[in-house]
Amino acid sequence: MTSFPRAHWWISLTLLSLGGLMAMVFFGPRQSLPVIPRPAGEGNVLREAYTQYLLLDPHRRLAPLPAYNHLILSLWEPLVECDPATGEPRPAAAQSWSWSEDRKVLTLQLRPDARWSNGDPVTAHDFVRSWRRLLGRPMELAQTLFPLRSAEPFHRGQLKDPEKLGMRAMDDLTLRLELDQVRSSLVAELADPMLVPLHRSSEAAMADNAYFRDPALMVTNGPFQLLWANDDGFRLLACEFYHGHAEVRLAGVQFIRANSSSLAPLLVSAGVVDLLSPMPFGESRPGLTERRMHLERELELGVTSVDFNVTRGPLRDVRVRQALALALDRTGAINRLDSGHMVPAWSWIPPMPGRPGLTLLQEDATQARRLLAAAGYPGGQGFPVLQMCLPLRMRSDPFLATWTECWFRELGVKTHMLYEPQDVRAKRLTATGEYDVTYGELVATVPDAGDMLSVFLWPVEYNSTKWTDQDVVHLLGEANTKTGAERLALLEKAERLVMAAVPAVPVMFNRRQALLADEVHGWYEDPLGRQSLKRLWLEPVTTLDASPEPRT
Amino acid sequence: MKNFQGSATTPAWRNWRLWFVVWLVGTVIFGVLLVADAWPWLTGSPHSTFRNTKLYLWPLGMVWWLLVPAVIWLQRKMSDIDCKWPWSPIRHLLLLGIITGLFQLLEAGRILLANHLPVAFLPVVISDLHRMEGWNYLPALIYALLVLVLYATSFYGRWRAGQQLTGELQVANARLETRLVRASLDALKMQLHPHFLFNTLNSITSLMRNNRTHEAEDVVAGLGELLRRSLDHRQEAKATLEHELEFLRRYLAIESIRFQDRLHVEFDIAPKCLPTLVPSLILQPLVENAMKHGISKDPAARLLRISAARDGTRLLLTVYNDGPPLPREDAVLSSGIGMQNTLTRLQMLYGEEARLWLRDQPPHGVRAEIILPFETLSP
Repeated sequence: MTSFPRAHWWISLTLLSLGGLMAMVFFGPRQSLPVIPRPAGEGNVLREAYTQYLLLDPHRRLAPLPAYNHLILSLWEPLVECDPATGEPRPAAAQSWSWSEDRKVLTLQLRPDARWSNGDPVTAHDFVRSWRRLLGRPMELAQTLFPLRSAEPFHRGQLKDPEKLGMRAMDDLTLRLELDQVRSSLVAELADPMLVPLHRSSEAAMADNAYFRDPALMVTNGPFQLLWANDDGFRLLACEFYHGHAEVRLAGVQFIRANSSSLAPLLVSAGVVDLLSPMPFGESRPGLTERRMHLERELELGVTSVDFNVTRGPLRDVRVRQALALALDRTGAINRLDSGHMVPAWSWIPPMPGRPGLTLLQEDATQARRLLAAAGYPGGQGFPVLQMCLPLRMRSDPFLATWTECWFRELGVKTHMLYEPQDVRAKRLTATGEYDVTYGELVATVPDAGDMLSVFLWPVEYNSTKWTDQDVVHLLGEANTKTGAERLALLEKAERLVMAAVPAVPVMFNRRQALLADEVHGWYEDPLGRQSLKRLWLEPVTTLDASPEPRT
Repeated sequence: MKNFQGSATTPAWRNWRLWFVVWLVGTVIFGVLLVADAWPWLTGSPHSTFRNTKLYLWPLGMVWWLLVPAVIWLQRKMSDIDCKWPWSPIRHLLLLGIITGLFQLLEAGRILLANHLPVAFLPVVISDLHRMEGWNYLPALIYALLVLVLYATSFYGRWRAGQQLTGELQVANARLETRLVRASLDALKMQLHPHFLFNTLNSITSLMRNNRTHEAEDVVAGLGELLRRSLDHRQEAKATLEHELEFLRRYLAIESIRFQDRLHVEFDIAPKCLPTLVPSLILQPLVENAMKHGISKDPAARLLRISAARDGTRLLLTVYNDGPPLPREDAVLSSGIGMQNTLTRLQMLYGEEARLWLRDQPPHGVRAEIILPFETLSP
């Protein structure tokens, strides 16, 4: 009984109206949406989206994502930067450098005109201060400095006196680095964003994110300085004290936080930001707005591999490893599963600036069967089941299933996959060694082929293949003493030796892509995602074309 | 009508007004807290962002604080107005969809605000959320559980009330039965009253001596019928007026012999009232009262008029005698056991819908009046 006999009609009508309204919102237009005009006075400010939580501390990097690199390299300038075309180091905060005769001492001469954003001169002491801080932090990334004398024991707490470290400010503008071993890639390694200098006031500015309250506390030496920072991002302003200020065409840079990697492309489409790197694959939405955008693709400096434990059973035989490598169908799997993102790997080192990729492996199932038969396992008869040790996160990885299927289909080799937590897997890889095959992902931190090959020099306990070869050790050691074409030739020899022994099969190289509004100019490929935003500029676009076509 | 549920006092914690006040106070506190927290962002402070506010940081589940009262109100309304298949389930399904959508919408709204996207991107953000995380069915599940709990509580409450009502009705019926038996016994006592019995027997003897055997037989039959009816414990709580008048006629037939020619009985009964249901033995105590305190007290009194009439939805029964007026100091209605019993039975059967008056009717006589709901046997 009710005093309002029509109430149920009204309730039904209200509910239906609400449902209808909601449906209208849910199924509303998703094409040709309006683009937010650039705020007045912001015409020359580049806006970049990021999704990872960022801190203005070069020594608290969570992952070397491009947006982090862009932010750090906008605010700070390291000693050198790598040439986008050749990968060779070129002056930045250091104007020149020289090696000692035994190539164990590197002396860098700093620019006399380098200034902090408050006008103070940038000195060698600022680099020493910063690097000591990095070595004192409990993070694995400090190993970037391990080539320096005593750096590793200092980092591990075995050495307390920082004066014994192989880094010394000879005077305000001279920095001397001493190495335990020859390492010719050291200069290129100094381009790492973690190795930027820190002003003496930086520690206080970074403590408890004090720069949120007072951005002026954050004194930097890069092309831009901090204007403000909050939970939504960072606003940078071109720094007039920067030695190359005249060449910086942007008035400022704003880093804008996006909630997720899938949302970030919307910010570009909507006109909220101009640049997104990396742009997730499969997230392009042509026609969402009328903003003109394009994709830029570049190969990451890294490799995905299938690593063999060469101390186990039939895998001791190089013919077996070659057979397994030949039987893999990289192209088919990549075309079928992720052709935009992955590239088949035919050698250990991907193409990089100044060094094209090699083709040292191939796919040949017939040859694979022949080699396996020659090794005593015709059609896989008598071949033990391969124990493949994998991290839990790869449980649904489609590539692994494809490759093991290739081995079974072409060679009759069966694989048992062991998905384990990280700590259990690490113990298996480093201590017990009870596995036949594992999955490897290597990411370089230096644009140098030697860096990627050095994985085969690691001590056996840290080397998942357990493979060592004296010839390779010798070649890489020699390459460390050389530069230029001579060094590249030695590295190629080493790579050919490694691929002939196949302790690991490179299967894929990753591609990275960036989404840019067409107003953005000056973008360049960098395999490490360390583009320097000071080289970019903005130009208004008049023609409308909303489909982001890749420019690889 | 007497309310049988009204006898139990509602405990304070079940008072919805109290809960509403608690909810309102909580809502105001929440609102003030949220606005105070978001004030720097709302006023455009450069160091404050939506991501800093509790509006963004607090879980969306807090919205249930606002939704629960609405869901309770709506559920009660819907279960009250229409439980018929399939409308109520359809409405709940619609609500499930709306609640799921509402939470998705709020989440999308938060994302939109946090990322400085225009409202036009809402459908895109919602679609993105759906693509990345699928629909969040938790709010729908919470709603379904809430409604189930509310339905279960409501049904349990009704079942309890039904049980209570049934119990009270059973007690009331038992009391009514007791009253009816007492009325029967009163009638029997009246009829077995030595004076009444001796008078009746004397009347029979006298009739037989005067060779009025047929009349004597009628009196004997009437007395027998009176005794049989009075002793019949199986009788129903209600009988038709026609049946009740038949009983009364037999009683009056005996009484008229006792009063010889002095008693003049008039029946003024509307024919359409004859099938009306009245409480069994309801008129006999009134007639007995009229004989005892009216006609027998005044030699000049002789008229007894029994009438029945319909007044809309009510039945009006009157018993008039032209005897002496009611004594001022003595309320016959309250002192007579038979009258008191009649009044109690009327209240138990009809509550406030029944009335009984006993009053003087100038210039002569006393009038007893009963008003009842006009009831007939269901076809």
